Amino acid sequence: MGKQNDQPDSVRQGITRRGFITGVDVGAAALTVSTCVSASRVEEHELISSGETVKVTLNINSRKHTLLVEPRWTLLFVIRERLGITGTKEGCGRGECGACTVLIDEIPRYACMTLALEAEGHEITTLEGLMDGERLGTVQEAFIAEDAYQCGYCTPGQIMAVEGLLRKIPEPSPEEIRRGVSGNLCRCGAYTHIFKAAERASRDRSKGGSS
Amino acid sequence: MLPPFSYIKAKNLRQAVEHLATEGAYVHAGGTDLLGCLRERIFPADKLVAIGGLKELGAIHPTKDGGLSIGALATITDVEYHPLVKKRYPGLSQAASEVASPQLRNQGTLGGNLCQKPRCWYYRGEFHCLRKGGENCFAVGGENQFHCILGGDQCYMVHPSDTAPALIAFRASVKVQGRKGTRTVPVEELHVRPEVDVHRETVLEPDEVITEILLPSVPSDLKSAYRKVRARRSWDFALAGVAPAILFRGEVVEDARIVLSGVAPFPWRAVESERAIIGKRIDPETAREAARAAVKDAAPMTKNDYKVSLIQAVIEEQLLEIAPKTGQ
Amino acid sequence: MEGKKDIYYLHGLAVPETPAAGNAPEPWKETRVVGTRQPRVDGYERLSGSAIYPSDVVLPGMLYGAVLRCPHPHAEIEDIDTSAAEKIPGVRAVLTGRSPDAEVLWREDQDYQTLLFNRICRFEGEAVAAVAADTPYIASDALRAIRVEYKVLPFTVNERRALEPDAPKVHSHGNRASVTHYARGDVFKGLEQADVVHEESYRTQCEIHTPMELHGCAARWEGDSLTIWESTQGVYAVQEKAARALGMPLSRVRVIGHYMGGGFGSKLKPGKYTIIAALLARMTARPVKLFLTREETYLVTGNRPPVDMRLKAGVKKDGTLTALDFSCVGTGGAFPSGGTALVDWLIRDLYTCPNVRTESTDVFIHAGPARPFRAPGHPQGSWALEQMMDALAEKTGLDPVEIRLKNIPLYSQAREGNPPYTTTGLKECIVRGAREFDWKRARAQAEKTRNHTIRRGVGMACALWFVGGGRPPSTIVLKLFSDGSANLNMGASDIGTGTKTVMAMVVAEELRISPHMIQIENADTGTTQFATPSGGSKTVPTEAPAVRDAALQVKRQLLEMAAKDLEAPVSELKFDIDAIFSKTDSGKRIKLTDLTDLKKGGVVVGIGRRGPNPEHKVVNPFVAQFCEVQVNMKTGEVGILRFLSANESGRVMDRLTFDGQVAGGITMGIGLAMTEIRVLDERATGKMLNRNWHDYKLPTALDVPPVIVSAPVEMPDDEANTTGAKGLGEPVTIPTAGAVANAIHHATGIRMTESPMDPTRLLARLVQATKEG
Repeated sequence: MGKQNDQPDSVRQGITRRGFITGVDVGAAALTVSTCVSASRVEEHELISSGETVKVTLNINSRKHTLLVEPRWTLLFVIRERLGITGTKEGCGRGECGACTVLIDEIPRYACMTLALEAEGHEITTLEGLMDGERLGTVQEAFIAEDAYQCGYCTPGQIMAVEGLLRKIPEPSPEEIRRGVSGNLCRCGAYTHIFKAAERASRDRSKGGSS
Repeated sequence: MLPPFSYIKAKNLRQAVEHLATEGAYVHAGGTDLLGCLRERIFPADKLVAIGGLKELGAIHPTKDGGLSIGALATITDVEYHPLVKKRYPGLSQAASEVASPQLRNQGTLGGNLCQKPRCWYYRGEFHCLRKGGENCFAVGGENQFHCILGGDQCYMVHPSDTAPALIAFRASVKVQGRKGTRTVPVEELHVRPEVDVHRETVLEPDEVITEILLPSVPSDLKSAYRKVRARRSWDFALAGVAPAILFRGEVVEDARIVLSGVAPFPWRAVESERAIIGKRIDPETAREAARAAVKDAAPMTKNDYKVSLIQAVIEEQLLEIAPKTGQ
Repeated sequence: MEGKKDIYYLHGLAVPETPAAGNAPEPWKETRVVGTRQPRVDGYERLSGSAIYPSDVVLPGMLYGAVLRCPHPHAEIEDIDTSAAEKIPGVRAVLTGRSPDAEVLWREDQDYQTLLFNRICRFEGEAVAAVAADTPYIASDALRAIRVEYKVLPFTVNERRALEPDAPKVHSHGNRASVTHYARGDVFKGLEQADVVHEESYRTQCEIHTPMELHGCAARWEGDSLTIWESTQGVYAVQEKAARALGMPLSRVRVIGHYMGGGFGSKLKPGKYTIIAALLARMTARPVKLFLTREETYLVTGNRPPVDMRLKAGVKKDGTLTALDFSCVGTGGAFPSGGTALVDWLIRDLYTCPNVRTESTDVFIHAGPARPFRAPGHPQGSWALEQMMDALAEKTGLDPVEIRLKNIPLYSQAREGNPPYTTTGLKECIVRGAREFDWKRARAQAEKTRNHTIRRGVGMACALWFVGGGRPPSTIVLKLFSDGSANLNMGASDIGTGTKTVMAMVVAEELRISPHMIQIENADTGTTQFATPSGGSKTVPTEAPAVRDAALQVKRQLLEMAAKDLEAPVSELKFDIDAIFSKTDSGKRIKLTDLTDLKKGGVVVGIGRRGPNPEHKVVNPFVAQFCEVQVNMKTGEVGILRFLSANESGRVMDRLTFDGQVAGGITMGIGLAMTEIRVLDERATGKMLNRNWHDYKLPTALDVPPVIVSAPVEMPDDEANTTGAKGLGEPVTIPTAGAVANAIHHATGIRMTESPMDPTRLLARLVQATKEG
């Protein structure tokens, strides 16, 4: 839920246009290469019964994945177990730890509390989506430099939370950083290093001007 | 793991309410509460009727009469940051900022926040409690440190919403659509008291959906706030909280609403506290009086006596905080 | 106490001896790499998503396993009907106690053997049946379709009542698991000699580890060989227990755990889930992935036992301790699992005290068995002892820092023969910590807030960790390739502490190559050397000396090769970056990559081993911590404003990961102090009420201070081992909760003797104190 496209302009302030433009680009590209562009049965407002699977197309890291899902499958299950994308972790499956945080239309959300068939039509970004080929993104680089992780299992979610924060607020205050990652548990207790990494990433971006 | 359910993405409200009228159907928006309940098998849901795609339900806009309309699908984050909410209804913005975690605020909706299921650990656990159709409330004599001190009757849950008390403080109402049409319900009357029906949390019929939250026009100098005490600073429900909305004439309270969270099975309007300050200046003495008035009928359980002190402390603190400083 | 079998992280494991180590090298005098701030060598993998954690494993044809668990704390299974579950499409196997495949003995502990599926369930969460299905959703549906008839039996879940005569019994012989005694000197005489005697009861609540990665594994058979990808702290520990349970040779069980998402002691050994996954995989001839749900991990993967403590202490006016009389009652749950193990250790050994007596009573209750939890026993005992020291300081009018400096230990009093410590940095930790924290000024400033609603308080606490020096065995294989890059082969897991990075730094130090030129292969019983599980703050001091030894073996061979090429005696040659040269003849210099024998052989292999620890000496790390809090006197809200930890853990190997351990240990300690508690529904059902991360509250980013200062007291411990490093992970979490309690006392005058100190508890005390005026 929370269709960000439906938000009034006032709350969209501060979000870069990049996501929207990318979304349009990918959509256009898909139109030209794909022969299957008809809306899914979900979009046709048909009742999908419980044992049934329905074809959906998920746009993850600007790549389209078309697959069959059951209504109850979460985005987290599909990302990890069906698509084998490992940069999104499962910690609780109940929206309490943040290890599965992904960006949906640039906004951090819990993939474990999102039904896969409702993720259709949105731009989903996982940890892998922050990379430029084999190169790490600025937030990932900052996490290495500040040693903002220990076991590394909550880390993808922390990074996505910081990424989402910086896309909304490029130069967050220390308090905004703390709040921004307060939906992500870290049992190893790397929080204070995560704060430093978020500050460093923000500095690096304002210097380099890229993400 | 989620149990099996069928799913329909509603094309429009009419289709949604038609589907909701069928047995075992549940309205599904942000999903942050419903999916959790399904995972725990709190109640069986055969069909999720998704209204997330109904664009008309997400907007926040001023109304003709100077109030504000918040679409039921506006996320908690939308509500927190909306400039008009911040400007005119800061208590609501603050309440939204205290909800759960950033990700859940990005996902959960205002309508959903009002319709949350109880967070009582017996209700959410493998206990066939009274509210779930069982024989008794396990919190009685049990682990009731987070349960209610006011308004309990057979069931002793506390209402989990942070935004509801703020909305009640602003005299907000919700617009509801069902098969028979629409109606408007003051938020204050939305929640069902356990003494009325222990099996329901809201007055909504199964086919009814909140479509809009309506905030009336408020004087520009209305003071409001939301203060929440919790055991943990993020992702935690209120141990006790207060949403005051107070209009001063000079230093004197002309009108006041004080609504409490974390202490009762529904958002608790502290009418006695309101009476204790209306027509008066708020000084330490009146603040203390007002706080004391709130707990006149408090009936703490075996392990939550602290809430009686805590709710008084936050009422007192917030009244003094909100009052115009003498000499200013 | 330190007999090998008695060390908790080696419980029940056959631990071989390391073959004789090489001659002990000289300690490092100056280091170039060791001690710097080195980012993790596996940072890229961990941060790009390319590191495959066991729970990430997806195999072709893989099924998903799930375990049905007893919903009652005490019940007898009368009947199980799995027919409905078996009929669900997509269900591939159902396993119960009646399945022939499930006839497996399971050792809960070295002293307690049971079955994989027991008819009598002695704790909520005991395994009852298991399934494998095409998706985890179907597996979960199948569990719900299994009908079990339970005879619900009376339960005991409060350890304080477990020894009452009418308490329902966990085992037929009763609820007393063990009672241990310790005494030295004469406590009564000591109390008589005291100027001030103080007595107090304390309690720490039960904590659950809840590492971020769930417990579980993926299991795959190829013929009669089994591969297990398990989220574990020790692949060899999993191999041994799995092979024993399944009756297989070790060589046929390969356990892989290249990465793992946290354990804190709860993943030192496998669980029943490991065996169940292997059985389901064998029954279905398909790989099976079985990871527990978060809720299950609260019930069945261990805990830090709750403990009630009583401490009576005597002290002279000048602060000298004369007596410590301690007793405690705790519980490791339904099976023997060290409910009170090591709780009294700090009372016995942290401060100089001639007269000490302790009694520890471990009882059984109908709750999940404990597993070691970061510094077992120590934070509990520290909570009592450090609050007692604070109280004694107040009573004698001494500063809390002074009274501790008065009682610095010179040797280990609790061990036979009073062996000295290799280094005793406690005094230095206290002095340096107090200075850097600006202790005196901070105390004085805080005291100026006495009349405010929001008051400040400053407190401190100290600790040692009873092991932390590491020990044999460890065998390391280091290969130096012809281009000067290296491959390090080590069995130990890097549980997030930076083990791999530290080992790369040791190689880099000796061979003068960049740590990033070193590829590390670890935590795989199929391809790497034997190692004990990573835990107990022993991994660096265990593995690093063996790594150094391996590097020295390589170096020796390289020098010999150079001697041949340069026609100079080895004794004249010296290592430089990428080259070897003669100390006497500057013309004689050869690049490593030009060494004839290296080019010819392609690789130089060094096998390093961990030498023995010094005899008759004790290797322990020490710590002092300082913190400042603010307390809202009306609401009981506590804010932790700042924290400083001064750790003496020998040599600092990697300053970056060292500081990370410090922040992490303190954060975990804040959880013990402020929010964490297991809540059981004692009155009606005995079930656990807060089996999730919302009701069981770990500290979040908003619950820790913005900055945690690490002020290492670096005293390379040359006697301890050849790298001079001691452990850090456990000592840094031990005194945290006590320091917070002391700071809260300083702010409020209230002594919170029971954890956690959240508003529900603190406010009640504040209100009571106000009433009493």
